[in-house]
Amino acid sequence: MSRHVAAIEQEERLLARWLVAPALLFILVGSLVPIAATGWEALHGHDLRLPWLGRPFVGVANFVEAIQDPRFTSALLHTVTFAVVTVPLEIALGLALALIMHTAHRGRALIRLATLLPWAIPTVVAALVWRFMFDAQAGIVTALLRTLDVVGESFDWFVHPLAAWVPIGAADIWKTTPFVAILLLAGLQTIDPALHEAARMDGAGGVRRLVTITLPLLRPALVVAAAFRMLDALRMFDVAYVVTGGGPGTATEPLSLYAFIVLMQRLRFGYGSALSVTVFLLTFAFALMWVRALGRSLVGDRT
Amino acid sequence: MSCSLRLCVVLVLVTVCSTSCGERALVTRLTFSGSALGPEAELVQRQLVRFGERHPGVEVELRVTPDAADQRHQLYVQWLNARAPDPDVLQLDIIWTAEFAGAGWILPLDAFALDVDDFVPAALAASRWRGALYAVPWFIDLGLLYWRTDLLPSPPRTLSELREAARRLQETGRTRFGLVWQGARYEGLTTVFLEHLGAFGGGILDAQGHVIVDEPAAIRALTFMCDALGRDGFVPLSVLTWQEEQTRFAFQNGDAAFMRNWPYASGLMQDRARSPVADRFAVAPFPAEDEGRPTAALGGAQLAVNARSANPALAWALVRFLVAPEQMLERAQLVTQLPSRRSLYDTNALAQALPIPIEQITQLLDAAVPRPVTPVYSELSEILQVRLHRALSGQQTPAAALREAAREIRTLLVRSGLASEEQAP
Repeated sequence: MSRHVAAIEQEERLLARWLVAPALLFILVGSLVPIAATGWEALHGHDLRLPWLGRPFVGVANFVEAIQDPRFTSALLHTVTFAVVTVPLEIALGLALALIMHTAHRGRALIRLATLLPWAIPTVVAALVWRFMFDAQAGIVTALLRTLDVVGESFDWFVHPLAAWVPIGAADIWKTTPFVAILLLAGLQTIDPALHEAARMDGAGGVRRLVTITLPLLRPALVVAAAFRMLDALRMFDVAYVVTGGGPGTATEPLSLYAFIVLMQRLRFGYGSALSVTVFLLTFAFALMWVRALGRSLVGDRT
Repeated sequence: MSCSLRLCVVLVLVTVCSTSCGERALVTRLTFSGSALGPEAELVQRQLVRFGERHPGVEVELRVTPDAADQRHQLYVQWLNARAPDPDVLQLDIIWTAEFAGAGWILPLDAFALDVDDFVPAALAASRWRGALYAVPWFIDLGLLYWRTDLLPSPPRTLSELREAARRLQETGRTRFGLVWQGARYEGLTTVFLEHLGAFGGGILDAQGHVIVDEPAAIRALTFMCDALGRDGFVPLSVLTWQEEQTRFAFQNGDAAFMRNWPYASGLMQDRARSPVADRFAVAPFPAEDEGRPTAALGGAQLAVNARSANPALAWALVRFLVAPEQMLERAQLVTQLPSRRSLYDTNALAQALPIPIEQITQLLDAAVPRPVTPVYSELSEILQVRLHRALSGQQTPAAALREAAREIRTLLVRSGLASEEQAP
């Protein structure tokens, strides 16, 4: 009899392999092969505009060039700073929105619709709108601040190396906070209302319940939301491309935008691939670290 | 039965084959690719049909490419890198010719006869690479100074005069801005800088291809631009985000006394229904200081033949046809693009076709200066744009920005095999 069970298990294992095969093949063709090809290209000197130089194997020379390239190091710094500043803000705002959506009883549908709307708008369109709002001549934000005498007559967000980050950050936070809010709302809905009931009976106030019940139980959702947002922020391209184009100078240029310029405008495929690989490694390293440090708690509850 | 069926099939096949093969022998197909937007598309199409009428058995197909120069460039590079035999004839932006020639993607044209002496010398210089002719100038574009005839009796003769006039007009409240130019971080900024460079007697590369953009004349030119935005305040800071159209809007609305722009703006600003400054402006060369000379950045398009074209002789015939005086005049009339043939500027026909008085244009032809003719121009220009933009937005001093730019350009030339190691930093 046990032999019979073993045979069935054997058979099922075989079937499982066949069932998984298409997915594996898809991952192989869709992700692993392109990543490997980019990695291989990154080890070559390949400039589409200079065909007389050929495509020699140069080892890690492209990566060495990147480390010595001040535009690369500042782009790396911009990327990491952008992620570290915007993601906590998005999480905080998203949490607030999720709590409102969760507790609101009247006008629930309207509140959810209003909250989720920015997420439904294409990023490029949203970024364009934000650029117009901060425009020095006709932008509503600039005009308002000028009336209030906060900024001078000739002030222009996009000409100042630090101020130019404000419209980028605003567009990104506005656009992605709803995404965080949805994830956290789902998390909130899994919390048993009886826990809150009991705590209230024991005389716990709203803040106390938030800190001791809601946040700890929301932790898995928070970890997932933060991971998604960090990975996105580390690859940020579209908002900077549309809002500032990386300027003034290269003061707001993230890594992905620099890689795009090297690849698609300069047509330096070797060096551009090396930069792309760097973006990939950066996000990969973060994901690994994040799962190691916080992901364990997700699984930890079960064991 | 089956035998007759088989016969039928064979017969059909033979007929199909013979007709299609016969057609191929009769009609030769050429492909032309270029920018074709609105009226320009109609014009190109009409001229291509006319060429077909004069060459029986030839059919020219217009392959429309994106209007944005960057995208068209990228597409061309992909096609030519893949050794595609078509398009046979390519419209190149004037700054691409050296790159395509250096890569061996376009044919040297010296073997074909062309009256080269008739072409604007600066445009011809931009179509040569290592002494050989690789393209024929099709139409040209020139950087101009637009000035308001109702605010000033005559255009400024030097940049210092321009600065004083602009500041005076601003201080008396007659205009909001003194001068506007294209200061966003894109190709336009390089052309504006080139004109300031010429005005102070500087340059980007010298005749031997050495980098001279960090020399004192260049630093003076960039300092002038920085001061115009800062200390002197006659150029609004916002120009650092402006391209051609934003400067035109400012000038057209009467907000600026001077504008640096291309000829296209002239036609639009003469429209009385939309333009408050219609009949109240004129053009002049961008003024120079005593140590320099008036400089007009040269833009425009050239025609080249794909090195892998199946019919190079016929492709050349198309190029010759398109650059004939007749076609150039028609282009000037319909889409206001300046001819690249000098002799046309002495004709009445051209004078009538252009919205700008022709004597104002002819003095500009002598001021025309091409951008550096090198296969790595795009990257060179990008390096400059970033450094210029940093200096103009106050992130670097002019001297430091140009020193860095020069160092990066030297490295670029060495890496590309266009300069020897000893020229490197």
